Amino acid sequence: MNSRAKQFGLAAVLALLAVNPAFADETTGITDDSISIGVMGPFSGNASSYSKAEIGLMAYYQMINDEGGIHGRKLVAIQEDTACDPAKAIAAAKKLIHQDKVFMLQGNSCSGAAVAIKPEVVDAGLPWIVAHAVSDTISTPPSANIFHGVPTGEANGNAMAAFVLSRPDTRNVAIIEHSNDWAHSYSNPARAYLKQQGIEPVLELVMERGQTDATAQVLKLKQAKPDFIIGALYEAETAIFLRDMKKYGLDTPVMGTAGTDLENTLKRVGDLDTVKNYFVVHPYVDNLDGPRMKKWADMIHKYYPDEELTNFSYIAIGSGVALVEALKSIGPDLDRAKLIAALDAIKDLDTGILSSPITWSADERRGVQGSAVAGFVDGKPTVLEAWQTPYQ
Amino acid sequence: MHTPAESRTAPRWIFWLLPILALAIPLATNPYTQFIINAMLIYTLVTLGFSVVIGNLGQLAFANTAFFGIGAYASAMAGNALGLPWLLTVPLAGLAGAAGGFLASAAALRGIRLYYLAIVTLAFGELMRWFYTHAGALTGGTDGLALDRGDIFGLQLNSDTVQFYIFLLLTTLLVAGTVNLLRSRLGRAIVAVRENEIATASLGIATSRIIVTAFVWSGFVVGIAGAMFALHTGRVFPESFGLTQLIINFAMVLVGGLGSVIGAVLGAVALTALPEYVRAFPGMEEIFFGVIVMVVLLVMPKGLASLLRRVSPIFHETHHRD
Repeated sequence: MNSRAKQFGLAAVLALLAVNPAFADETTGITDDSISIGVMGPFSGNASSYSKAEIGLMAYYQMINDEGGIHGRKLVAIQEDTACDPAKAIAAAKKLIHQDKVFMLQGNSCSGAAVAIKPEVVDAGLPWIVAHAVSDTISTPPSANIFHGVPTGEANGNAMAAFVLSRPDTRNVAIIEHSNDWAHSYSNPARAYLKQQGIEPVLELVMERGQTDATAQVLKLKQAKPDFIIGALYEAETAIFLRDMKKYGLDTPVMGTAGTDLENTLKRVGDLDTVKNYFVVHPYVDNLDGPRMKKWADMIHKYYPDEELTNFSYIAIGSGVALVEALKSIGPDLDRAKLIAALDAIKDLDTGILSSPITWSADERRGVQGSAVAGFVDGKPTVLEAWQTPYQ
Repeated sequence: MHTPAESRTAPRWIFWLLPILALAIPLATNPYTQFIINAMLIYTLVTLGFSVVIGNLGQLAFANTAFFGIGAYASAMAGNALGLPWLLTVPLAGLAGAAGGFLASAAALRGIRLYYLAIVTLAFGELMRWFYTHAGALTGGTDGLALDRGDIFGLQLNSDTVQFYIFLLLTTLLVAGTVNLLRSRLGRAIVAVRENEIATASLGIATSRIIVTAFVWSGFVVGIAGAMFALHTGRVFPESFGLTQLIINFAMVLVGGLGSVIGAVLGAVALTALPEYVRAFPGMEEIFFGVIVMVVLLVMPKGLASLLRRVSPIFHETHHRD
């Protein structure tokens, strides 16, 4: 090949590389009467039950649209399936950003999928509000355009430890957990919080996923005599652990994660006595069937009449409230930079659904820094701020 | 002089036109469509490696996803721990995949066959996934292992277009290498083992060596696909290498045509593109996927490659037996 041909080949390759355009239009995805929002979630696959979060969010958009939209613009959701699979999630993000050309992104259950798309979203620069996935990695260190609108793993872990220590005279705390990162995302922040308070766990135990017996762990705990147990276990294993605690006469209170639902756990174990001392992280202002949650349940059923409501159905709505608040504050002259600035201006926003307010700033994008706890009081599920202190 | 079989086929250089024509693809894509096309190239290699063991060698072995994960993690770990640029991790990933192939072949060598081999190799895949999840210090656990993509000769490797040209080159080389392997004496021995292992041994062919070679080549090809996948996604996660991945890869082999190199390409392209077309119907992907796979297998039980063979003898593969 002569040198001219080589030069031509090099020029052709460089021209091809230059084809993919930079993406920086501040008003992409906005028209006079619409704002397009990419909503990614696991609408198929093993984890599709998580997509109830995105259904709840889109119901909220529809409610806002029925109320006239925001400054004359409707919120138009463009749904994309991630199946909780990182590669599919990247494809979904690229499609929304480069093909559908949405104004912003909101949604995303599944931390793995959310972490995988982060570089793509950071490069594109469009605002992204994470509305369900909890991994702190998504929003720390803070990126210019990423906002976390739910309690992260650290917030949940801190809430667990704070509740445990709110019980008078609690000094001896034991931890039982799965040996996976999901469990560690709760237990490690809880450990750190305890350590700050000068408390080291008296006993740390592992219960593997799929284990059908917790006798060994329960007997060790009986010997250690903790005042409180932190349990980072999935719901099925939680039920087994609580069952074996009762069997061996151990009635120490147990603090569980947001990955277990209080009433589902009751259904699994079958009797109230077994779960009477079990508490879970609960990010909402009320029980799911409580009066303060009713309007949200009615809203979802208005737009998705056949939707079966679970704990996940409501989790993304709080960040939707924050988005609408920010969009309203900007006025009709909207662009991405203004939205990012408006989101950063949100401080102590009471969403009416999340038990902790949302505050964002350029230095801290984990907007929800706490969570309430739910437990059985007098046989009824009750939202608590601290030990024997109902949430107001 | 051409053999009778070769005389039925067109000159092989015609197939080199495909990658040459493909050089122009980035002119017509956006980052999303380019990402999907890059995935097609990766899955072409995954399907090809799988097809060598399951189609050409005739062993019901499902360690393919393990090789894929081993390659991806080897690439990401070598990049992170040793600071190697991605390009240098590619041969390491291939060798790691080949080592996985060697391990998987041990089961076949011990006389484990059919459903027993299927279970043993499935367990191997799940064991590897357990390792990725629990060896957090090495693999990043469920948070995954990020890859520092870096650049190559000044070109940023996070560009889908740059990735495309590298993937096209690697895929072309490995497809050509596999075709040459299957057309060789060794390749004919691989097919002979599938047809009748005892008869093959009676001809003085060391069948155990043949089995090991096929597994190792499969592991090498799929391991390199793993390194490409790591670059493609920028971060490797355990859940990318589970049973769902295996089912999709198996479907690609069957839809394309068991043991056919052309089929591996067609199966990978078709089943990578299909889910993207049904994105407009959230939650329906599994149904569409299942229906399409069933229809293809009912109408064309020998895969898409058989359709092409009917259209023109140019698509006849001398190493392939229906």
